[in-house]
Amino acid sequence: MSDLTVKFKIRRQNPEVPGKDKPYWQEFTLTGVDPTDRVLEMLHRIKWEQDGTLSLRRSCAHGVCGSDAMRINGVNALACKVLVQDVGNEIMVEPILGLPVIKDLIVDMEPFFEHYRSVMPYFITNDPKPADGRERLQTQDDKDKFDDTTKCILCACCTTSCPSYWANGKYVGPAAIVQAHRFIFDTRDHGTQERLNILAEENGVWRCRTIYNCTPACPREIQVTKAIGEVKLAIQRGKREGIVRVVHAHQH
Amino acid sequence: MASLVMTIRETLRYRGAIGQWSWVLHRLSGLGVVLFLVLHVIDTSWAVFFPGLYEEAIASYQSPLFTIGEFILVACVIYHAFNGLRIVIFDFRPDLWRFQAKAALYVLGATVVVLIPVFLGMIGHVLAHYGEEGVFVLSLDKVIAGQLPFLAGFVVAIIAALVIGGAWNAVTGGEETTVSAKQSGSKLERFWWSFMRVSGLLIIPLVFGHLALMHIIQGVFDLTLSGATVAGVATTGSALSNGVLTDIMSTNMASILNGLNDTGTATEFVLERWNFLVGGIALWRIYDILLLILVSLHGFNGLRYVLTDYSMKSPMLRKSAIALTVIGGITLVVVGGLALLTSVEADAIHTAQESICEINPEHADWCSEFVVTSD
Repeated sequence: MSDLTVKFKIRRQNPEVPGKDKPYWQEFTLTGVDPTDRVLEMLHRIKWEQDGTLSLRRSCAHGVCGSDAMRINGVNALACKVLVQDVGNEIMVEPILGLPVIKDLIVDMEPFFEHYRSVMPYFITNDPKPADGRERLQTQDDKDKFDDTTKCILCACCTTSCPSYWANGKYVGPAAIVQAHRFIFDTRDHGTQERLNILAEENGVWRCRTIYNCTPACPREIQVTKAIGEVKLAIQRGKREGIVRVVHAHQH
Repeated sequence: MASLVMTIRETLRYRGAIGQWSWVLHRLSGLGVVLFLVLHVIDTSWAVFFPGLYEEAIASYQSPLFTIGEFILVACVIYHAFNGLRIVIFDFRPDLWRFQAKAALYVLGATVVVLIPVFLGMIGHVLAHYGEEGVFVLSLDKVIAGQLPFLAGFVVAIIAALVIGGAWNAVTGGEETTVSAKQSGSKLERFWWSFMRVSGLLIIPLVFGHLALMHIIQGVFDLTLSGATVAGVATTGSALSNGVLTDIMSTNMASILNGLNDTGTATEFVLERWNFLVGGIALWRIYDILLLILVSLHGFNGLRYVLTDYSMKSPMLRKSAIALTVIGGITLVVVGGLALLTSVEADAIHTAQESICEINPEHADWCSEFVVTSD
């Protein structure tokens, strides 16, 4: 049943065009919309049928690459994962907040990735390679401790939903802490203390005020605030053991 | 400033869940309590240092403007305490996060449930006060004029903080950086994070006890009731005679401190409490010192969190914000602490009597005598 009419209100900005260099709202009306259409498809239709200058970033369009994060009806989400029926037929779209806008819905992700790199988001070990040259094995229980935070796709939905980050772009932000969590609680990794030291700084985990905007913003349903809380406790106790409580999904 | 305005605007625009509003209320209630704390600690220390000024402060506290403020203050303290408990629980059990939204609702519900009897009690005091014959109300312009020294003090503190922040920045220089691998791990922030939680838990019983005594059982209006029993102090004697009252300087403290507010001065009320001994220990002084230190550090570190959240773009402003909170915290602990550790002579009450009779000559029978003698 493709018979809905949907009104879009889009926050636009083009620094290269005089008169459009300040943010402004533009409205578009789409007809023949199906309730199960995705917001990303609607934005495509606007770009292809009505205004070719509308700029947005997307790649896989299936919630995996994390490039189409935007604020839809006041909440951060991936445009490719939000259906029209989820948000109604008046849809407000704006760029995610806290990163410089390049054009329309496209933001400069570099400050975000700078925070990501600052927590050393890679495997650090002094152990020799396993004898068979293959995987470094660990128990399922050990894996469960950071399983959730391996799901991050670096879309920035969480970081740009955080009032602490809006106020202070030097705060490392939820996504970088999630990425740090993934390695801090990996028993095979030897960089834990270094990462905990980095995140113990004023602009590390302590800027988190447990507002909980980040958790529902995550399109991968990562328990973001929980992960941040666990990193705080690890810093507090100076160790990673005995902090993450795992609900046992796997029976042995 | 720009980041503060933007954050306020976007917090209103972002459709965050209840956790976001809990955070907003926690900040606002905290700021409200810190503001009153500054007035209250400095005013109360006047009971020891400048008894005359203390009587003026209490007359202000008994005026409608401060009565409204008192209701807001009590609501702020109770909300901040309950929501603080919620924060502590989920900080130490992050895995329970699924219950945080429900907990935020419980916090609001519990605040309302507790506030109903508390407000009823407080309204009872207000009604009783205004029901009295010849009730005295300090005029609004005098109340406001009484707060102007605080305003001046705030301006001086802010200027001092900006100067210190500027000098500090000139010496150390440099942008505040984001986290980096060069950092060796800040023990300071870790300490304050724990301190906020531990002090918060300790403050809750102390501040609730304080509120119960000073705002519910005995309201601020009862501080200046002649002959009334002082809350939390055992009565040991009978009221002093009028002759002694007008000549209180020749009377020793032991005969004044009998658990009854003989002179009906707020100063005597404070001294009755502070000099009340249990087994040789000044119980209320210890109680108030504990409360003072914990609340001052908790409040001003909270203020530092709020101010630095919005001033990270300017290293100089950030340092000034830190300087301001250090100045504020130290001032309160020192001024309040000195008052709490000072022993007082009987002429303090004499000065208070003079002052209270100047503010309201109808206050007591002995005022007529007083005004004549002091003229």
